[in-house]
Amino acid sequence: MNSFEIFYREFITKGGYKTALEGLLVTIEIAVLGLIIGIVLGTLIALVKIMPKYKRLPRILEKVCDVYVGFFRGTPMVVQLLLGYFVLLPALGISVDGVMVAIIIFGLNSGAYVSEIMRAGIQSVDVGQLEAGRALGLTYWSAMLKVVIPQSVKNILPTLGNEFIVLIKETSVVSFIAVVDVTKAFKAIGDATYEYLVPYIALALVYLVLVLLITWGLRVIERRFKKNERNS
Amino acid sequence: MSEILNEKETVLSVRNLRKSFGDLEVLRGVDIDIFKGDVVAVIGPSGCGKSTFLRCLNCLEDADGGEIMFDGENLVDMKVDINVHRQKIGMVFQQFNLFNNLTVMQNITLAPVLIAKKKIAKIKCKNRWIKLANLFKGKDKKKPLLEIEKPIEVVQKESEEKAIDLLKRIGLEDKANVYPATLSGGQKQRIAIVRALAMEPKVILFDEPTSALDPEMVGEVLDLMTELAKDGMTMVVVTHEMGFAKEVANRVIFIDEGVVKEDAPPKEFFLNPKNERLKEFLSKVL
Repeated sequence: MNSFEIFYREFITKGGYKTALEGLLVTIEIAVLGLIIGIVLGTLIALVKIMPKYKRLPRILEKVCDVYVGFFRGTPMVVQLLLGYFVLLPALGISVDGVMVAIIIFGLNSGAYVSEIMRAGIQSVDVGQLEAGRALGLTYWSAMLKVVIPQSVKNILPTLGNEFIVLIKETSVVSFIAVVDVTKAFKAIGDATYEYLVPYIALALVYLVLVLLITWGLRVIERRFKKNERNS
Repeated sequence: MSEILNEKETVLSVRNLRKSFGDLEVLRGVDIDIFKGDVVAVIGPSGCGKSTFLRCLNCLEDADGGEIMFDGENLVDMKVDINVHRQKIGMVFQQFNLFNNLTVMQNITLAPVLIAKKKIAKIKCKNRWIKLANLFKGKDKKKPLLEIEKPIEVVQKESEEKAIDLLKRIGLEDKANVYPATLSGGQKQRIAIVRALAMEPKVILFDEPTSALDPEMVGEVLDLMTELAKDGMTMVVVTHEMGFAKEVANRVIFIDEGVVKEDAPPKEFFLNPKNERLKEFLSKVL
């Protein structure tokens, strides 16, 4: 029996595809929900960072955000997962399943990165746009909301798409905290047969197809946002 | 002389205006009164603080000290609600700064409509409190609700009509629904001026309005500004266009070393300058 036949038997006949599909869903679930949490958190942090700093509260908030972003950008994802699952949860005395922990940790982690993406995107809009708004008598937040942020979206989207792709690929480490994702599912097939060639190539193809699909989807969205810009 | 001046209504009154960027003292006590209908051309060597002076007038730069009296309030005071006053101080930028994400029409109507919306929201909020308070009062003591002058739809419609009128005036009504990226520099700047006009300001500040334009487009912008001046609009214009300063302005001021060195009608200013530094400057630019 050659490698393909072994894989076929394990994957189709013995029902390995079910685990793989479930794993795929878990992978997508963690990445998508993580990104959503990340976007919400990242937006909030970015807003704190661009807030005018006349008063004390914004300055304190900024310090808090700096610590948060520093921690999540400064430690590896795996370490954060391990800390969350094996240290924080027992310490708090609550039991949550690994998928939930993974979603939260991925959300917190991508929040740190997304905040930087958003901040850079907003600051890349010409400061004259804000000044023109303020000079007309709009408040800081009105001018931001109506003029600056809409223009920053087309700067933010491509990088945000990139973040999503990174996130999808990085979910492959969640088996560290006993979550069965698509990587774990294919590895299990290999483990059962001692034949890794086909499962791992298939796994790579699954990720590749996923990422290509996302890339294509993002390009469609980006094109929509480019309507009102020419030469400028 | 002073009696004649006193009869004129002062729009902006600047006293001892100071501004530094770090160790660099840009403005070291600017004093000037700007009267209704004045067209003040501000000239001076680069880096002398002309633009900073202009940007201080509507607090795009916060002055470090001194006084800017506008509508009976001191704009330098941080407690003053600057947004209210900025509605009445128009500004036109060197780089036009039209909102790139909005059409020409939306560029012009954004601020008037948004500000009206906020006012209405504020009144509604106050009315809710009045209603609540009225629950605890006797029949004869009930406070009347505040009235909303115009519903937002009417404001929106009126703003759009006004925008069309203004666009017609500059001959660009067919551009109402295009985005700024498709316009030429001269068209952009004229629309930026119209955007400022739509707020019905008491004074418009021009920060080198023609410096970023192709030479052939300078004329159309200056023509519009000349027209405004004739209509009696109060204007403060930082400019390198000596022609405009000579022909249109009724006062020319020379800023150097952070203070106003000369303030005179254009004829006197150009033909008979008193300040040594100004003589030197004029000999270079004329």
